Amino acid sequence: MKVKSTSAKIGDWIFVLICVLLSVICLVPMINLLAKSLSHTDYLIRNEIYLLPKGFNLDAYTTVLHDMKYVRAFFWTAFLTFVCTIFSLVMTTLCAYPLIFEKLKGRSAINVFITITMFFNAGTIPNYLLMKSLDLLNNPLVLIVPSCLSVYNMIIMRSFFYGIPDSLRESAEIDGATFFQILTKIYVPLSKPVFATLALFYAVGRWNGYSDALMYMKNAKYYPLQLLLYNILNNINQVEVATQEGFSAPGLSESLKAAIVMFSTIPILLIYPWLQKYFIHGVTLGAVKE
Amino acid sequence: MKKQKKVVPQRKTPFSVYMKRYWQLYALLLLPLTYLLIFKYIPMAYIQIAFKKYSIVESIWEMPLAANHGFEYFIKAFNNKDFLYALRNTLTLNLLDLVVGFPAPIIFALILNEICFKRFKRVVQTIAYMPHFLSWVIVYSLALQLFAPDAGLVNMLIKDLGGEAIPFLNEPAHWVGTYIGLGVWQSFGWNSIVYLAAIAGINPELYEAASVDGAGRFKKMWHITLPGLKPTIIVLLIMNLGNILGSGFDRPFAFQNNLVMRVAEVISTYVYKVGIKGLQFSLTTAVGLFQSVVGVIFLLLANWLARKLGERGIW
Amino acid sequence: MKKKILSILLACSMVFSMAACGGNTDTQGSATGNGTSTGGAASGSTDEKTTSELVDGKFAETRKIVVEIYDRGNDGGSDPTNNMYTEYIKKGMLEDHNVEVEFKAVPRWTEVEEINNLLAAGDAPDICVTYSYPTIQTYAQMGGVLDLSQYVETYKADLPNLWNWLGETNIYWDKDPDNGTLWAIEAKLAVSNRVLTFVRQDWLDKLGMKAPTTKAEFENMLVAFKDNAETLLGADADKMIPYSVSYDVGWRAATLIESFLDPDMSDKEYYINGFDDRKLTQNGTKEAVRLLNKWYNMGLMWNDFALYGSGDTTEDSMMKAGYVGAFTHNWDYPWRNGEDSINANLKRQVGEDAKFVAIDCFEDSKGTYTKFVSGPIDRKIFFPTTNDEPLASMLYLDWISDPEHIQYLQIGDEGVTHTVADNGAIATQAATGDAIMNSGMNIDYTITCNGLKLVDENITNLSRALAYPGADPDDIVNAHTLANTNLRIGKNVNVGAITAEEGVGDTLSSKRDIVYDNAVVASEANFDKVWDDGIADYLSAGGQAIKDEREEKWNAAFGDATQLP
Repeated sequence: MKVKSTSAKIGDWIFVLICVLLSVICLVPMINLLAKSLSHTDYLIRNEIYLLPKGFNLDAYTTVLHDMKYVRAFFWTAFLTFVCTIFSLVMTTLCAYPLIFEKLKGRSAINVFITITMFFNAGTIPNYLLMKSLDLLNNPLVLIVPSCLSVYNMIIMRSFFYGIPDSLRESAEIDGATFFQILTKIYVPLSKPVFATLALFYAVGRWNGYSDALMYMKNAKYYPLQLLLYNILNNINQVEVATQEGFSAPGLSESLKAAIVMFSTIPILLIYPWLQKYFIHGVTLGAVKE
Repeated sequence: MKKQKKVVPQRKTPFSVYMKRYWQLYALLLLPLTYLLIFKYIPMAYIQIAFKKYSIVESIWEMPLAANHGFEYFIKAFNNKDFLYALRNTLTLNLLDLVVGFPAPIIFALILNEICFKRFKRVVQTIAYMPHFLSWVIVYSLALQLFAPDAGLVNMLIKDLGGEAIPFLNEPAHWVGTYIGLGVWQSFGWNSIVYLAAIAGINPELYEAASVDGAGRFKKMWHITLPGLKPTIIVLLIMNLGNILGSGFDRPFAFQNNLVMRVAEVISTYVYKVGIKGLQFSLTTAVGLFQSVVGVIFLLLANWLARKLGERGIW
Repeated sequence: MKKKILSILLACSMVFSMAACGGNTDTQGSATGNGTSTGGAASGSTDEKTTSELVDGKFAETRKIVVEIYDRGNDGGSDPTNNMYTEYIKKGMLEDHNVEVEFKAVPRWTEVEEINNLLAAGDAPDICVTYSYPTIQTYAQMGGVLDLSQYVETYKADLPNLWNWLGETNIYWDKDPDNGTLWAIEAKLAVSNRVLTFVRQDWLDKLGMKAPTTKAEFENMLVAFKDNAETLLGADADKMIPYSVSYDVGWRAATLIESFLDPDMSDKEYYINGFDDRKLTQNGTKEAVRLLNKWYNMGLMWNDFALYGSGDTTEDSMMKAGYVGAFTHNWDYPWRNGEDSINANLKRQVGEDAKFVAIDCFEDSKGTYTKFVSGPIDRKIFFPTTNDEPLASMLYLDWISDPEHIQYLQIGDEGVTHTVADNGAIATQAATGDAIMNSGMNIDYTITCNGLKLVDENITNLSRALAYPGADPDDIVNAHTLANTNLRIGKNVNVGAITAEEGVGDTLSSKRDIVYDNAVVASEANFDKVWDDGIADYLSAGGQAIKDEREEKWNAAFGDATQLP
């Protein structure tokens, strides 16, 4: 057991203090939203809710949980997120792994081919036309396939792979392992941190994403939860509508809005703590003497 | 530039031998590359409408070429004062984001790494990345609750203490500060995840050896942790620079208000108003193409610079 | 390995089908591309056969059309493509005309992008609706819109309801005077009510004041509200807001702005300066805003108004909580949404007698309260060129303009969506299930009509007061009356398409809001500079070009005349 000097201990506590402060400023808005979702609408109208609910009631949550629309969207989105994450991780690995081998012929060409797609995007209409010709419109697959590979994430994974020492690979090659075996027996087990990271990125991306559903999915059965939230929060055009069209659509009460935000945010927040166990220190390098 | 093939025993390595071994890698690449071909390259054919006069009923091959050898829309964009302001604002805001927002998650990851209390560390990590999940519409309305000049909590407090309200959101210079600040708040926790994962990959024996040598905490950070993070930092920095003219749409759109439009209009919101709602598709694509080309140039420059300094680039 | 081969084959087939598709769109493209001028003629010739096919108003074979319907994503709304009203329409169209109707939902908030996608993919509905004429103009330039002029003429005999309801005015509103093309038909407003000013009756009573009838009195009232904040709001005195506007100052101070315009302004001047419907470039607006600026600097307004975007409900909440003394808004705003209306909330939160009432308080140079309202036009209906059934579509428009059908769509079934009062007036009630109306008065379905219009005119008037559950009918009648006094109704100035107006609508609207907002919050000393700089920016971004072209076209059409014939 190391013995720490006093200055180191003070340093420790300063860091703890900083972390506490940062946590507070990150937590406060969530607490505010939570309070709003548990308060009576009249207090929200008077803008009196800060950190504690007033007129405490669970009505907003009961409404949400009884509304099949939200519950169904919740389970569908959870399922979708799970499937997409697995699929995306596989695709990313398939893409990142071969590219670490310098001897691969055509490697630079492939790199250029891949990187260009990060930058050049033609806009909504051509993508829409593509989905239409692939018969993906209103098909649940449209929420899975078009977004299955993120080049950005692939580059992160590949950088991580570069960090795994060549010597491991080389000794396996000498032992006659095929590339596929090297992948499954060496790289995958050692890459838990990056898999966890990218799983998180993909999962959050899919859970929070709604723009593809907005454009390509008209079947309400398959709406992701965030799309429902978008429709509710997106009053952006409502006032224009109210003045143009001569009526106002009944808005949702503020507490219901806050409850829906909570309902669609909390689940994904809980994924990270679960994934944290994969961020294990030093899992890599027991195998090699540098 | 072909590197020398590794020759183990003394014999030629003809193509068929190469393929016997390497076919597996190509097989693995097949699915991703096909995906990219279908979903990215085929729609890219549409980029040519940047040079053509868009018509909603004609196919892209039929549309006539725009004036000035197809550059009409580029010229139109650059002659437009509002576009130039949007360009300036995008660059400024992105650079500020980079300068302030790029180091923040790294520093946070370093601080977290120093914490010994495992439970506490996990809790802080989870809390820190919560802001990332709030949509910008919500963040802005919460910001208004706090920072509005009259009714905002912070300003009410300041006024109670006898001071003058600070125009956090209604004066251009202050608005930029608030915008960047909230951007950092929203992303530092989330962005630190990659760095924490990278730190997890650093050999703990290095730390032990350093302790034995009597290195203090900051020496360890400087000589072990940061170098361990260097590849990740370089890659992310290069990719962020490649995105220098991009800008999400949600964040600037939610934060804009009419009193600060001079500094708040960015390319994406400009394109939304003029290009999409104004039905000027060719202009939209032309501006997008311009953004992409500039992004690529920045990326290549940054990558080259990194290589020159002895680092591995993103390839 | 097999999987890989399969995916290669799949990919190749997809790529090849892409190329094939490209080919197909080519042929389709060239057909419709050349079709703008010939398209009308082509379908004209087919339709000559069709007219004779109409026996008793019905087609021999069943035709099929697709109609656009807004999907507002209402929480707790009905499915816009499948509910009580769609069933009614489908049944009616099939029985009366042997036309099968299908509804295609288009999200209201992303309507423009969605229509773009559908048009580009050739999937657009046969009947489309939009609020923006320049949009239709742009589509027409690209060859994407059918010319309706020949259909409305040729089939006039088959479209009695349409002609009766819309009349020549609305049908030919957008007809090009030079080449006779008609890209869109204008729907009709049932009432011309626009904007009114509302004040807190209970506050006036508490302070022993009468409702103001002039600007000076209004200002005094605001000052009185501010000075007596403690009496009126007690502990919440610091939340007092005498007069509230939003970032959309042009709308939210419309009555004030219009009071500074010359009520006898010539049609020519009104037209040339009239592109912006918030009157930014009219003569007199600057002085109106100067007054607002003065009030702002006196602390009589909501200071943070410019920071809140168009979706934010903060201002509404403040009105509901009782902090606001006066505001200007749509004529029925305090009573919208029944239990959740502003007045209903005031009753709950403040007291039984707390309410907003409508007043006319901004007098113009003649001492009257002139209200500048737009012509009786509303949404614009157009047919994309992909429409193969123009006659069937016209019959749809006719069917939907039948007074009986409009009435049913607006009030539904007795006991389900309304109750009948003793005097025959219709009182709306909240519906459930698929009888829910996703839009007020179901205007999403009554695309040629906006506003309550029952078969009997008297009943319509009586019913209007009962259309707002929970509101005092007298208040509604009062508001309606005020909204219809001293109307200056916009006339149709048809001098042909103004090309300068294409594509700049949204840019200019944003700039207009910027000018208004910055001018109101500026310091009094800076007002002139801020206003003038803002106007200069607006004009240089396309406003001036529009003015110039309008003047030029006016002169070409009417010579020296300053009034419309």
